[in-house]
Parts: sequence; C-alpha cells; structure tokens
Amino acid sequence: MSTPLDKEIVNYLTEDARMSFRKIAKITDKSTDTIINHYNSLMESGDIRGSTVVVDIEEIGYQGIAAFEIDVTSSEEITSDQIMETLIEMPNVIVSTKTVGDHDILALAVIHDLEHYQQISVEIAQIRGIKNLTSDIWSGNKKILPKYFII
Amino acid sequence: MARQKIDKIDITILRNLQRDARTKYSDIAKEAQVSVDTIIKRYRRLQKKGIITNTTLLLDPRRFGDEIIANFNIDVEPQSVTEVLAFLEKQPDIKFSTYAMGAHDLFIIATARNMNEMNNLKEKIQSHNMVREVKISIWVDQFLLCPQNFELEPLLEAQR
Repeated sequence: MSTPLDKEIVNYLTEDARMSFRKIAKITDKSTDTIINHYNSLMESGDIRGSTVVVDIEEIGYQGIAAFEIDVTSSEEITSDQIMETLIEMPNVIVSTKTVGDHDILALAVIHDLEHYQQISVEIAQIRGIKNLTSDIWSGNKKILPKYFII
Repeated sequence: MARQKIDKIDITILRNLQRDARTKYSDIAKEAQVSVDTIIKRYRRLQKKGIITNTTLLLDPRRFGDEIIANFNIDVEPQSVTEVLAFLEKQPDIKFSTYAMGAHDLFIIATARNMNEMNNLKEKIQSHNMVREVKISIWVDQFLLCPQNFELEPLLEAQR
C-alpha cells in the first residue's frame, strides 16, 4: 500500500466493504475511475485479499471457537500444504496457517457445542500425516476482528 | 443456543457476501431468482436481526508493515487469568486475546514489524509475575481464510 489515497480507500472499505466507489470518490475529491483503479491495484498486489460479510456467530448457532495445534509427521508422501488444503475444505474451519515454533499448523474452527468440538477434533486427528493434535476452546472473548483473521 | 430463522434466499445472500462482500445485489437476485428489491430488503433484515454485523475487507497484515504474525499460548498462576488478560489487552501489538479451556489458559494473536519486536513482546509477557509459561508459534507463508466454511444450512432446519 503506497499512497495516502490507498490508505483512505482501505480505511473506508474496512468499515463498510459495500461502500460505493462513487461515494469514496466524492469524499476524497477524486474521480470514480481513480478510486476503481487504486482498488484494483490493491487487489492485484495482494494488499487486499478480499472482502467478506461479518456474521454474529452466536446468531447463526455457534457457541464458540476452538484452536487446533497440529504436529505433522515427517514424510515425503504428505506435505503440510496438503494437510492445510484438507483442513480449509472442512466445514467450520475458518483459518489455517503453517507455523514455526511449538507446532506445525494452527487451525481455527467455529463450534456449535462440545459434541461438535469433539467431532471436529476426531475429523482433524484422522487426516493423514497428522502426528499429534492439541486443542483449546476459547471462552469469554467473542470479539470479532475480521479484517485480518475472520475471528 | 440462539438460532435465527432464515430461508434459502437469506443463505444465498450470506454465501455470496462471504465470498465477496461487494457482490452486486442484482447478481444475488439473479441467483436467488427474486427481485433486487427483495434482496435489499432481506439484506437489511439480516442486519436488523443482528446476523450481519458488518462487511469488511480482508487484509494481509504483512502488507501493512506488520511482517510477523504469531500466536501465543500462555499459562498463568491459578486465579490470575483475568488480571493477565487485562494486561495483555493493553498491549497494542496484540490483536486478539481470549481465555482458553484445554491445554493452556490464554490464547493471543499478535502482529509486529519484525522478529525483534515480537521477541520484545514475548519477553514483556514473560516478565508478568503471574505468567508461568509462554509458547509462541510464528505464522509462516500465506494463512488461509475461509469465511464460507460457516455452516448456515442447519438454520433452515430450525424452521421445520
């Protein structure tokens, strides 16, 4: 992100991703085409990864979020990337990343209840190439900070 | 458990906006085979019901000056969880913090401009006299986000 205008565009759209380019153009005193060009550049460069709707997870039937920290078996047959791909295709898994440190992969999942948590734990543990799995359920803080992590 | 009643049109709206919050109402209307006005009304109703709280961009923090992202698992002295969480919430580099139940007491996600700053944060947390152990995992490569993995279909069943 290189220009002050880029920063302004990102700030407005972080607050309301559906804000029209015309409205942003009016506020920033630029042309709509200029705003569109800057937005497209931000998308192409990867500064903006996309946009999403933020839902209240309790309103759609979830009780919380669980963090799964995964250790991967050293093997040429299956890579961390393949495990990541499997994870991110699983319903309810909303974030997955490779890590360096105590564990190899972190996955975050939304959970309906304890039974559901158990079920997801079993599903993850059964993925080929996973050596060990530890997990925590988050309690207390339901603050949503979606602009980076959708949690 | 709070379960709102929504129908297939609402799910079409949510699914489209989860993938791309800037999807045109007209495109959603086409897919749902209803009028644009219906989609706009439904969208507002989802907001009013509190199901949709916001729309936002998904950004890569590394593109905005924070090169390092890490999560911390923290163990604390018994009965000091609230005190330590309050301390963590005051640290500007900590973007998310929560109580945890399971292997550890607290879980945080932090961003920092470089490894040195992240290490300073770790040392600061470790220096709290109620903190017993801090384990850190640095996020590498592109982390994957998948907002469309929220299950919405069970909400349809709630109406039956």
